[in-house]
Amino acid sequence: MTTFDAAVPTAQPSLAARFRLPSGPIQFLGFDKDYWRLWIRGSFLLALTLGIYRFWLTTDTRQFLWSNTEVLGEPLEYTGTARELLIGFLIAVAILIPFYAFIFLLALTQGAIGQLAGVIGFALATILGHYAVFRARRYRLTRTVYRGVRFHQTGSAWLYAIMAVLWWTLVILTLGLAYPIALSRLERFKMRNTWIGNLQGRFEGSAFGLFIRGLFMWLVVIGPLIAALVAFILALDMKLLWELALMADDDAALTRLLQDHPNVAFASAFGIGAITWSMLAGMLLYPVFQAMVLRWWSSGLRFGEMAASSTLRTGEVYFTYLRYIGWSMVFSTIATFVLIAGGAAGGALLWTTGVTQKEWFSDVGSIGAAILGVVIYVAFALGYAAIYQVKVRLGLWRAVANSTGLANPAALETISSVGAPASSVGEGLADALNVGGF
Amino acid sequence: MTTSGQATYFDGVTSARHDVTVTLGASALQILGSDGQMLAEWPYAELESIPLPQGLLRIGRIDNLVLARLDVRDPKLAAAIDDLSVPIDRSGRTERRGRRKVVLWSVAATVSLLLVGIFGVPEIASRLTPLVPYAAEIRLGAAVEAQVRSILDKNRAGARFVCGSGEAEQAGRAAFEKMFARLEQAAGQPIPLRIMVVRSDDANAVTLPGGIIYVFHGLIDKAENADEVAGVIAHELGHVAHRDGTRTVLQQGAMSLLFGLLLGDFVGGGAVIIAARAILQTSYSRGVEASADDYAVDLMKVLGADPRALGTILTRIAGSSHGPLKLLLDHPETKERVNAINARAGTGTITPVLAPAEWADLRRICSEPKG
Repeated sequence: MTTFDAAVPTAQPSLAARFRLPSGPIQFLGFDKDYWRLWIRGSFLLALTLGIYRFWLTTDTRQFLWSNTEVLGEPLEYTGTARELLIGFLIAVAILIPFYAFIFLLALTQGAIGQLAGVIGFALATILGHYAVFRARRYRLTRTVYRGVRFHQTGSAWLYAIMAVLWWTLVILTLGLAYPIALSRLERFKMRNTWIGNLQGRFEGSAFGLFIRGLFMWLVVIGPLIAALVAFILALDMKLLWELALMADDDAALTRLLQDHPNVAFASAFGIGAITWSMLAGMLLYPVFQAMVLRWWSSGLRFGEMAASSTLRTGEVYFTYLRYIGWSMVFSTIATFVLIAGGAAGGALLWTTGVTQKEWFSDVGSIGAAILGVVIYVAFALGYAAIYQVKVRLGLWRAVANSTGLANPAALETISSVGAPASSVGEGLADALNVGGF
Repeated sequence: MTTSGQATYFDGVTSARHDVTVTLGASALQILGSDGQMLAEWPYAELESIPLPQGLLRIGRIDNLVLARLDVRDPKLAAAIDDLSVPIDRSGRTERRGRRKVVLWSVAATVSLLLVGIFGVPEIASRLTPLVPYAAEIRLGAAVEAQVRSILDKNRAGARFVCGSGEAEQAGRAAFEKMFARLEQAAGQPIPLRIMVVRSDDANAVTLPGGIIYVFHGLIDKAENADEVAGVIAHELGHVAHRDGTRTVLQQGAMSLLFGLLLGDFVGGGAVIIAARAILQTSYSRGVEASADDYAVDLMKVLGADPRALGTILTRIAGSSHGPLKLLLDHPETKERVNAINARAGTGTITPVLAPAEWADLRRICSEPKG
């Protein structure tokens, strides 16, 4: 069994042919309706249990995505359990409570340290967040099994956290220009430490290639913002600005600012135009950007001799988002209609029974209204989340899986088992810090 | 009944694929290689099914770190193994039963959490508050004050935000200090008090932990005599005496721990948590405000001032303000409160806390333009 053809089991009924799925080496065979069922039921239970059900929903979701993804005819397997996630979360809470208490005490300290407590807390939480992301990845990999062989991850999570913070700081300082190099360096670190049994992964996506491909988009979206900023700085007289900053009355200062700087009004108008343009262009180009990064990412993945390649089409990512927006609009319309009809009926009922006139109604009514508000909010939020899951997350997963090709897949046939399951603390931390990924 | 069939076997040591024949024995299934050699023998009691899409039964061994896998695609063979092995449950009944248990206990946990939030936390905070040393409360007050100041001082007036420093405001400040000195002496709090009138147009006053009271200029504008202002300050002194600020901080801390950290966040549930806390918070504040009113009435009576003045100004402000921004935010229904105040006030001779001339001075405590 050295060629790809021989590796595809003949016994497997050709689902790909029946449902006109692409017949590449990686196939996603799951159906939308099963995922819908998972998430609609899960959303109800999430609301009912104030979110405790999320450990089960996350596990079900992963099990669905993994086990429906076939590589060379063999499905991936997710062996993680909800119980592990729950325990990981409880451990994370035990770690984070002293952390929060420390930040709280810091905030009560007099002087500069007290003033900076928020900043210190944010910095520590950011590092901890990246640490958690890397350890959560380790948990997921060690719960991923292919052909009876476990994935695993080596490397220090603290090292990754420090690298990630430094790279992302650079990305912010360069207004996004450093994004390709940051992404490629971090991905290299992650993939170098990723193993299927004894088969080591690596990442060969070129930062420069991504930079060149993305530069045009960057100029279109960020360029006008920079131009507006430069125009604004040129229009200002720094010495006068300092004087105005010392003036206590804001209104007077603004009047004088506009009087003494006729160009400021122009620069401000230009600035508003630039921001509007950037937001519009950003929204329109986001799917293009995401398709580009996904294509670049999956084409850069390597495991030993095996190399991935991607033929992901930009149009497919676009339609994924269009479908999401369409479904969301339908949901909003129906939900709003139900809300208005229900509100009218409920109001009429209250009015006719005369409870609104009662003495106690102002108390009970206000608490009832607040509870109703929460319920409606939760229903909307969970509805959009479920639509996002099915339309965007599942849609993109399927699109990436089906568009990925593998060169030298024979490398997957001769792997030996190495590695043991890792703890779920990282997942718990990521969950508690709200930085969870898949 | 089927006793053997074809399957695919991964031994968990390498990724190599083995086409095997499975034979169902009495207590174990045997996995035979293509050359007839036995590769493994798995007792039925140790089998577990691994969830996979329809049409494929994947079997592993319970609690085995070696991830050997047997994939059975032959439906007859799969059914036979399902019959023989107790742990293998393709109908998912065991799984569903476990799930139901989780949901039921989660709901129970939610209910008990809410009950603790409504009844337990206020009680615990009330018990803990007297144990907090005053030194800690003053520190807490300084931290809270910096936050409150930055919220209230919208024009960034800085030191000028506090009234009474200007030339034309001196007389007003003297009158205010005289009035407050009487109130402070009568209250006799063990903590040094700090009160100030600030340039804010709301008809309101707030008390922070550590004996810090902010009287908003809008309140003095709305008042028709000094006793009304004194009544509101006496109410705030009630909060100081009962250490309500410290208790609120303890309560808020406990609530954010309960709801924020333990339950975590789902799809931006932050808003839910805030709303839930707001609901619980209003139910706390009713009792708190009522006892501060009682304190105010008693204090005004000690001074010989008009104990009903607090009720008068409450009614006036409640009548003129609309929307959610009622007087002394969070305060319970005005009518109820005024009735309680009047009932407690009783009868007695009343001497105004300030002479008419002093009251006229006090009204000018914020007369200089801000900024």
